[in-house]
Amino acid sequence: MIKAENLQKRVPMGGSELEILKGITLEIKSGESVAIIGASGSGKSTLLGLLAGLDEASAGRVVINGTDITALDEDQRAVFRGQHVGFVFQSFQLLPALTALENVMLPLELQGQGDALAQAQAFLERVGLAGRIQHYPRQMSGGEQQRVAIARAFANNPSILFADEPTGNLDTATGGHIVDLLFELNREQNTTLVLVTHDLSLAERCQHRFRLAAGALVDGG
Amino acid sequence: MSMTATRMLARDWRGGELGVLVAALVLAVAVVSGISAFTTRLQSALAQESHRFLAADRVVRSGSEAPLAWLEEAGRRGLDTAQVLTFPSMVYAGEEGMVLASVKAVSSRYPLRGELRYSEQPFGQVQVATGGPAAGTVWLDSRLFPLLGVDIGDTVSVGEASFRIAAAARTEPDQGGSFLGLGPRVLMHYDDIAATAVVQPGSRVEYRQLFAGEPPAVERFERWLAPQLEEGQRLLDVNEGQPGLGQALQRAESFLLLAGSLGVVLAGVAIALAARRFSERHNDYVAIMKSLGATSANITRLYGRSLLLLGVGATALGCGLGWALQSAFFTLIGEQLPVTPGPAGVRPYAIGAATALVCLLCFAWPPSRRLSQASPLRVLRRDMPQEQRRTLLDYAVGLSAVSGLMWWYSGDWKITLAVLSGLAVTVLLGLGLALTLLRGGRLVGMSAGSIWRLALAGLQRRGTANALQVVIFAMAIMLLLVLLLVRTSLIDAWQTQLPENTPNHFALNIAPEDVQGVEQMLRSREIPGAPLYPMIRGRILSVNGEDLPQTDDQEEGRRQREANFTWADTLPADNSLLEGRWWAPHSDAAEVSLEVEFAERFAVGLGDRIGFQVGSEAFEATVTSIRELDWQSFNPNFWLVFPPRLLAPYPATFMTSFYLQPEQKPFLNGFIRQFPTVTVVEMDVVVEQVRGIVSQVSAAVELVLAVIMAAGALVLVAGVQASVDARMHESSILRALGARRRLVLGGLWIEFAALGVFAGLLATVGAELSVYILQAQVMGMAYAPSPWMWPLGVGGGAVLIAGLGVFSCRRVVSSPPLAVLREL
Repeated sequence: MIKAENLQKRVPMGGSELEILKGITLEIKSGESVAIIGASGSGKSTLLGLLAGLDEASAGRVVINGTDITALDEDQRAVFRGQHVGFVFQSFQLLPALTALENVMLPLELQGQGDALAQAQAFLERVGLAGRIQHYPRQMSGGEQQRVAIARAFANNPSILFADEPTGNLDTATGGHIVDLLFELNREQNTTLVLVTHDLSLAERCQHRFRLAAGALVDGG
Repeated sequence: MSMTATRMLARDWRGGELGVLVAALVLAVAVVSGISAFTTRLQSALAQESHRFLAADRVVRSGSEAPLAWLEEAGRRGLDTAQVLTFPSMVYAGEEGMVLASVKAVSSRYPLRGELRYSEQPFGQVQVATGGPAAGTVWLDSRLFPLLGVDIGDTVSVGEASFRIAAAARTEPDQGGSFLGLGPRVLMHYDDIAATAVVQPGSRVEYRQLFAGEPPAVERFERWLAPQLEEGQRLLDVNEGQPGLGQALQRAESFLLLAGSLGVVLAGVAIALAARRFSERHNDYVAIMKSLGATSANITRLYGRSLLLLGVGATALGCGLGWALQSAFFTLIGEQLPVTPGPAGVRPYAIGAATALVCLLCFAWPPSRRLSQASPLRVLRRDMPQEQRRTLLDYAVGLSAVSGLMWWYSGDWKITLAVLSGLAVTVLLGLGLALTLLRGGRLVGMSAGSIWRLALAGLQRRGTANALQVVIFAMAIMLLLVLLLVRTSLIDAWQTQLPENTPNHFALNIAPEDVQGVEQMLRSREIPGAPLYPMIRGRILSVNGEDLPQTDDQEEGRRQREANFTWADTLPADNSLLEGRWWAPHSDAAEVSLEVEFAERFAVGLGDRIGFQVGSEAFEATVTSIRELDWQSFNPNFWLVFPPRLLAPYPATFMTSFYLQPEQKPFLNGFIRQFPTVTVVEMDVVVEQVRGIVSQVSAAVELVLAVIMAAGALVLVAGVQASVDARMHESSILRALGARRRLVLGGLWIEFAALGVFAGLLATVGAELSVYILQAQVMGMAYAPSPWMWPLGVGGGAVLIAGLGVFSCRRVVSSPPLAVLREL
């Protein structure tokens, strides 16, 4: 379960402060799929960053599975992410110097899991890339790269998956396949899925939707 | 974290991320160890070469024969030994022939270093001897033959013994240096001394005990010998063998060390730049790893191990390359080296390894360590600023590291300080000027054409980054300019010191009545020569009324001693006045002008009164000026110069020097026959030897310069690379928007050329300062500004940086914009 209480984010801008999030309170139950929608600049990605523990809030708190991650320092949050959280990004965020296999092995190795190789191979097979495990990101299409990213996100068996515009860099057909894969795996692994998108059809596939406008929650639950 | 540093490095290497850093590290180690090994070996080779001027590696000079125990100890240590005894003696031939000669008796092994040369006929074809004269025979100076009226095979007597003339003595390796007052040479065997019965207790003789062997054995023996030396025994080394050469070698050594130090700085800068780029490129890496659960400790450990591995690998590779580099040097100049260079030892490679370690710790580690602070939020927002707060501290750490390395490497704080001062001025001026000018560009840019607007906008957008880049370019260009300048003035100085017609013969003991005749004879044969200087042999007795000690045993410091005096109305050529004033023409005041080192040795200065004795008369004179001489000019030089009227009452002889081409040598025969009392000293071989060494050292200097230039080029490449990503990014967006090739490349040209002009300007200012300090304080040379450096620095900087920059970014106009953007 994810709980956000009066979550605020302000950044200094020139002499004054820019308020990006104006006190967000929400709750996401375990195993749910949730979409955060809104126009560009409404604060979607900032909210995702705070919920996932990638960023520090100016005020308010985030509690995940009973842990107040806003009270943790960056290193503690890193350990928490490694154990509980998976990510899928718009720009894939694969390491260019690593092969598909090595990219998927990375979170497993960070967790110190001995059978990283076998697990990574299994996940790559699961996303349909068995024949391309030794390829580098630059040798793959956008859709293939995003599949590698999905395999990596699920590799360490996270309880929550955060996806930031997962289809933003893909054409409609490829995007559709990726979304199918994402939801399939989500069901199989029984993870909580939080995705940020401005694609309403994608948002429709989620059980719940939160709409942001100018840093405030205008519709949700 | 189980992912090892090895695997990350291997992955990085495959991905091409490590290339620049590894290249910079390897080159740093290679340059430092290679140059260090090269200079070490070259120094040993040059030392060997210059030992030829001593005819040995070490010489003990004394008034009596060396103890037998020394020879035994030297033998035990595997050293060669030889004995030399020099004394003045009359040489007789037949009824009439009688000349005061300088007799030199040498043992069978003489010379231990260098070559003894003779000819079968006087002034004949010179040949290299395998040893000195056999017992019972002598070799005579060529000019003794006409003076004594003898030929090869005739007999001469020295003291009570008679000798057959076997050859003409031409040159000895250790004849340079003090030749004044020497008569023509008679060379005989050491074992014949007793038979002559001329050497008695109290005779004015000089024994030289020669030692030679492997350098470490010689050094150990020297340490054993030094404490046993008594008064009157003096250990001579290379510099004393040949003061002129010693100074030339010292300058060469300073230059090579300077070059090496600059190599260290350049290497450090290149590594710093490469490491910065490495860590910048790894920022996203770290953000992704952190989003996947890596802690900062994980990251720190990972990059720490990576750098360590990188350092070990690069050091091994660099040392190997450095070894190859110095071997290549010696293959290149091997033909010019008359001796085989000794081994370099471990030190150069240790210096190379230490350089890598220090560079990694001080340049590569700080940005890598900060990687652990990178925010994982970069995975969502790539435009997040990178952590840069500690950059200034990095520079401070780097600067102290570079200074430390330079000081360690050169062993000379003056060199270090000179280079650092230039660098400091360049950096401070650079940051100020670059920021001001780059910001000022906006006004100009408004009205300029689109290419200019583009370029100036590019310059300004990255104002601070550009200022830093300008400073880095300026540092590299400055160091290269310094080296180029010092090398040019060094080689020029050597060449002007020994110009083509450097006097190579001295004529001494010219009687006043012969002065006109000698001048006429030289003029009629069109032989270029110095003016005739009067010379009076006198004695220094007292300082400020206090008698000096009389002991002859005391080599250094104040004692009564003989010296050659001269007089002059005007300051002699090649002399420069350091203190005091030159006397008025026709002065009859009791004044004297001293050579600066002589004054220091006697601890006298302006205003001190010195007591002299010429013949049986004593007089006092006050020091009114101190002069500096150019001892390497091979012109007649004097420690003591008096006003003409002061010395007028005393009998004088005259001396001069002149230049003879090899084919003019027979002139000496007629000259000596016409002026039999004149002593001629042949210095042509010595002059040639000095020239030979100078040309070898010059070749080495050029080679070292080339290597350092390569290191400098690497810095420039690394510096350009540092900004290539950002520029490529903008240029490909412009391309995507339809900008023509001309516009994009033109913009880049102008942008990089502007950086180059700024950098060149700053570099030239810094270089002038460094060179001033180096020449005046370190190399002991006169400073002269170099106007040619300004167009070279500024123009060269612009062309070089623009060329490199556009070359590095060329792909932006040849590849599709999207392909470029995706890779960045």
